[in-house]
Amino acid sequence: MADKRSLYQKVWDEHVIVTSPQGEDLLYVDFNLINEGGSFLAFDQMRMEGRKPYRPAQHLAITDHYLPTANRAAGPAGIGNLEIRKVVEMLASNTADFGVPHMNMHHTQQGIAHVVAPELGYAQPGMLITCNDSHTATNGALGALAIPIGASMQLRHVLATQTVWLKRARTMRISVTGTLPEAVTSKDVILGIIAQIGIGGATGYAVEYAGSTVRAMSMEARLTMCNMSIEAGARIGMISPDDTVYQYLNGRVNAPKGADWDRALAYWRTLPTQDDTPFDRELSFDATKLAPMVSWGTSPEDCSPIDGAVPDPALITDADRRRHVDRALEYMQLTPRTRLADIAIDRVFIGSCTNSRIEDLRSAAKVLRGRKAAVPGMVSPGSTTVKRQAEAEGLDAIFRAAGLDWRDAGCSMCNGSNGEILSPGERAASTTNRNFEGRQGRGAMTHIMSPAMVAAAAVTGKLTDVRRITD
Amino acid sequence: MLPFTVLTAVAVPLEIAKIDTGMILPGRFMRRHRRPGHDYSEAFLHDLRFDEKGVPRPEFAMNMPAYAKAEILVTDSDFGCGSSREGAAYAVMDYGLRALIGPSFAEIFYGNCLQNGLLPVTLPEPVVHDLWAQLRNTPGATITIDLPNQQVIAPDGSAHAFEINQLRKERLVLGIDDIDVTLEHRAAIDAFEAKRQQAYPWLPNAAHVLAGH
Repeated sequence: MADKRSLYQKVWDEHVIVTSPQGEDLLYVDFNLINEGGSFLAFDQMRMEGRKPYRPAQHLAITDHYLPTANRAAGPAGIGNLEIRKVVEMLASNTADFGVPHMNMHHTQQGIAHVVAPELGYAQPGMLITCNDSHTATNGALGALAIPIGASMQLRHVLATQTVWLKRARTMRISVTGTLPEAVTSKDVILGIIAQIGIGGATGYAVEYAGSTVRAMSMEARLTMCNMSIEAGARIGMISPDDTVYQYLNGRVNAPKGADWDRALAYWRTLPTQDDTPFDRELSFDATKLAPMVSWGTSPEDCSPIDGAVPDPALITDADRRRHVDRALEYMQLTPRTRLADIAIDRVFIGSCTNSRIEDLRSAAKVLRGRKAAVPGMVSPGSTTVKRQAEAEGLDAIFRAAGLDWRDAGCSMCNGSNGEILSPGERAASTTNRNFEGRQGRGAMTHIMSPAMVAAAAVTGKLTDVRRITD
Repeated sequence: MLPFTVLTAVAVPLEIAKIDTGMILPGRFMRRHRRPGHDYSEAFLHDLRFDEKGVPRPEFAMNMPAYAKAEILVTDSDFGCGSSREGAAYAVMDYGLRALIGPSFAEIFYGNCLQNGLLPVTLPEPVVHDLWAQLRNTPGATITIDLPNQQVIAPDGSAHAFEINQLRKERLVLGIDDIDVTLEHRAAIDAFEAKRQQAYPWLPNAAHVLAGH
């Protein structure tokens, strides 16, 4: 009989060690990623309690959040801000003290955790992966159950026991069907979904993305989509594995080899959700109606197709929503009904765990090839591996020729805790995932969109429909 | 984790609503290593307790000598709201508090407190306001929190029942944290792991990174 459980339920069930009388499951963690943001709290507390990691080799610490993307050759001494330097050094000393594997700033595979884990094959279908980062669901694109955990108490627990206590989430399937129109990417799909269901629309759910549009997406496009699950409120976002995933994994450093590969493949093929599997909630979207999206407000749900306009709060009937939009427009210094394509920008940023993979860089470079950027900006590849690949393809030369800064790998201007931020009052077109007040620096204004759309904005100096950039 | 049973201690009032985690532990203290003797005690509510020059604000209750030994803080609603920064609970703990009493607590912060042996007690708003008045009238007065019996005894002797998740209560009373509880399942974890390793021997680890590759 066919297994009617969803991918999420199968992988969850596969990891339950015991269940508490309160209904919490003790889940086995196959692999845990650690970044420097906040994790020192976990290590400090473990030191105070005299605890040791249970399975040190099943963790990988990667310096990404606080690490500046320039001046790497100088080592930690090259980090001008002493507070930031201290956090970078703390991860190195903590991982050394506790015997936890660490990719430091000089490691040839260093990068953003959620870019590195898939590209090195640490993330595989059926695995349970945790990380002290809200964008952990990125790894769900490979059919892994990837769960964000708290940087202190939950991380300490995972380190000390290789397990985590969690309650099952409700399940939601979001089906996207139809062929994507020209220049519409998975970033636009997920922004379109968030615009419709809101930033709390999937709270409490483990989301599975399905449908013909998703099936047709490349591995990297899927990673972008799962990445932004948290912006819809979902801690977990997954996609049933298929040949796209298997082909992507085949030959990666940590992927199974030889006879193991055949066994793994046979197992992975038992994981996909069946079409008639019941979900607690089902949503569907028509991909053919989508256009390139840009955000205009201070929440990821505040976005519209590029051919639209800034909304008029006076026309919003819901009082809470009206108050939010009022405040958002004030912060963003935007007048209601302004055409989105008339909004001038000061700077661009291409990078982050959302959009910094090789396909993202290729799509931005395609727009910038032979053109000059009208505004300054920077490109930060998602990993040192991506950086090497981009340089081998000559993409760095295109970005540099356009006038953009070609950086090292890290979270950079997405979270800004590395000191790479906008000045107050500056407005950016950014491939990142969050446009909250102050996200890219105090008083900074962020418009999020796809890499090609950021490249188009760079060319014209204002938000621009990339389909209008033609030779 | 220190067991929490019956605590009788000086209580200090803090009549400000929506104290967020950024006030509890200002961002600039967040990147500080916590070690014995060098922890978050100074950072706790720093900008409320001290002025721009770092001088204690004399009018702030926590700075008054009568409340100096306080181990209980009686707050207003939504204490611990805002960002989920987990250092906030450590700041409360490092300052020397063992319990918080208030009309409501932010959910994540509430959970973080319990996991670290701190007891947040939710009482109805009028009761909390009455506690403030008593503590203001008699600075240095003590409150008793009887966790096994789920009761708060006010300075005037009045008793007020409170609710708490029974599992959390049990762990607080015994002084065992989540890790201790989990490690009671060590045999089950090891057996699970061995079986998993046999079924899926290809699962990756990062030992090669440890080895310098």
